[in-house]
Amino acid sequence: MSAIEARNLGKCYRVRGMGPPTLAGAVKGLFCRRKKEDFWALQGLDFDVQPGKTVGVIGPNGSGKSSLLGLVTGTIFPTTGHVKTSGRIASLLELGAGFHPDLTGRENVYLNAAILGMKREDIRRRMDHIIEFSGLKDFMDQPVKHYSSGMYVRLGFAVAIEMDPDILLIDEVLAVGDLAFQLKCLDRIRDFQRRGKTLLFVSHALQTVEDFCDEVFLIHHGKLVARGDPSYTILQYIRTYMGEGGYLYTQEFGSREVEITDVKMRDADGNESGTFVSGKPLHVDISYDAHKRVEKPVFGFSLKTGNGFYVYGSNTQIEKCGPDFIEGKGTMRLTLDPLALMQGNFFLSLSVHSWDHATQYHRREDWYPFAVKNQSADLGIFRLSSRWSQR
Amino acid sequence: MNPLTDLWNRREMLSNLVGRELKSRYKDSALGFLWSILTPLFMACIYVFFLRLLARGVPMETIIIGVFAWQFTALSVSSGLSAITGNSNLVKKVFFPRIILPTAATLANLVNYVLSLVVQLALVAVLLGLQNKTMNPWVLALPILIVYHTLFNLSLAYFLSAINVYFRDAQHLVGVLLSAWFFASPAMYDLSFVQIFAEKHPWALDVYMLNPMAVIITGYRAVTLPGVEFPWTGCALAGGLIPVGMLIVSYFVFQRMQRNFADML
Repeated sequence: MSAIEARNLGKCYRVRGMGPPTLAGAVKGLFCRRKKEDFWALQGLDFDVQPGKTVGVIGPNGSGKSSLLGLVTGTIFPTTGHVKTSGRIASLLELGAGFHPDLTGRENVYLNAAILGMKREDIRRRMDHIIEFSGLKDFMDQPVKHYSSGMYVRLGFAVAIEMDPDILLIDEVLAVGDLAFQLKCLDRIRDFQRRGKTLLFVSHALQTVEDFCDEVFLIHHGKLVARGDPSYTILQYIRTYMGEGGYLYTQEFGSREVEITDVKMRDADGNESGTFVSGKPLHVDISYDAHKRVEKPVFGFSLKTGNGFYVYGSNTQIEKCGPDFIEGKGTMRLTLDPLALMQGNFFLSLSVHSWDHATQYHRREDWYPFAVKNQSADLGIFRLSSRWSQR
Repeated sequence: MNPLTDLWNRREMLSNLVGRELKSRYKDSALGFLWSILTPLFMACIYVFFLRLLARGVPMETIIIGVFAWQFTALSVSSGLSAITGNSNLVKKVFFPRIILPTAATLANLVNYVLSLVVQLALVAVLLGLQNKTMNPWVLALPILIVYHTLFNLSLAYFLSAINVYFRDAQHLVGVLLSAWFFASPAMYDLSFVQIFAEKHPWALDVYMLNPMAVIITGYRAVTLPGVEFPWTGCALAGGLIPVGMLIVSYFVFQRMQRNFADML
């Protein structure tokens, strides 16, 4: 039996005007018929999640990810179809929901735990554990209204994670809290996976999704557009919505006296590809069109990971290998050999500018996404040339 | 699902919410719980004084009972109105039987009422003692009346909490209706006021007793005070049955409407 089963699941919102609904508004509505618009936040979803699997849900903002989690938890009632879950379900989208500002941290732990459906005795037994995990030992007897937002979430997470559910829903909660706490959270999530629990994971941190998930759902405009292997689906997402002029995150600017007209990424055999093997060469052929003669142009590139971490950047000026001048059409080849990047999705940015950096001719930021597969057993995002020897 | 098992399964949440409600209500005031006794007492004094001005003497103990009972219902109405809208964060993010919220709000008022009742009964006993009277032995039946009164208040809370989600200005309308209802119920006067009118128009008392609050408050007085008769007419019995019907209807209204709570908040 699957842990989560959705059949023809859909949620439609009636688009209302601004502000809360009122009696006066309803009376007005009786007399003048307003145009009612339906907005389908989710439509026709069919899927099963097997027990013990971790499924990532990705998609642009407003694509319906949170509605999906709401439907699975049961806070939102579906317009069409149904979703069935088996086992105790908890979601980390409710961190600190139900905390009362006037009550102390300790009182709120009991209250929140009761709301989540835990027994008082269980909580009493695990109180020390909760306090330790949240790291708020000295603040437990203070009203939570004096807490910082980070402390609030930490306490909420500490309670929610103690619930020990069969299905855990996570909605971008790991973005809060300091690094140490985030690592602690990820650790608990790994622990969950080891114990064979089911996870549904919504995040924009694509790298984290790729690290954690067995399968990824890509949702766009309320529809499940793709599902499957994490790195492949994430690449598809990046391709469609982020890179190559996709409307998210990419930027393009410059005076266009020299234009980047076409870019081809090729593997070791010269075949065009989007996925490259770590340790093998990667070639980037940059076709340009210089509308006037440019002396000593500088071609540059930079690489970022899926969550914006700047990996490496260089240009022909630094490496002292640029052409003396360009005029008309031509092609530059950038070769990364060996490709020292490891598993994951990356963005390539390219630029052409004048030798004194005064004029940016053309720059495409995060324009070219690609994936890297690592076929050996080492870990990380970047391969350092390392050697072991006995002395 | 059976409403009672729903509530019973989540009794820990229910009791925690009741605790939260009571704690937060009295946390920041110096006199704390005392306020919930002092306010109706002051009101009772004002009403007695006002009626004396109109040359209509009504015993203080009669008014005290009426005002306390009325306060229980009035508080249930106002806390019921905001039971869902005031907890929007919870409703939008956590799944639990929504009926718990208005139930907890009403039960918090019940706890308050029962505690104040101790003071109220002591006061009534003293006032009766001053007149060389004793309390009606039927006062032992008070718990039954309280349960009945609570069920009535629950029906109001269920209905109003759901309505207020859909029509956010319902609370203003309810405020007006509540004060009209206050004067239509024997809180600051007793049935003798109506009986005077009923001598000319015999139907008046019957219509009056269709108001459940008239039944409840008169019931409280009949069991507590010596020499107060409950008018056992058909209409009074009908008035007594209305809350039962209201509870069933408002429960189903609530369950029907709760599906869209998260969308409307």
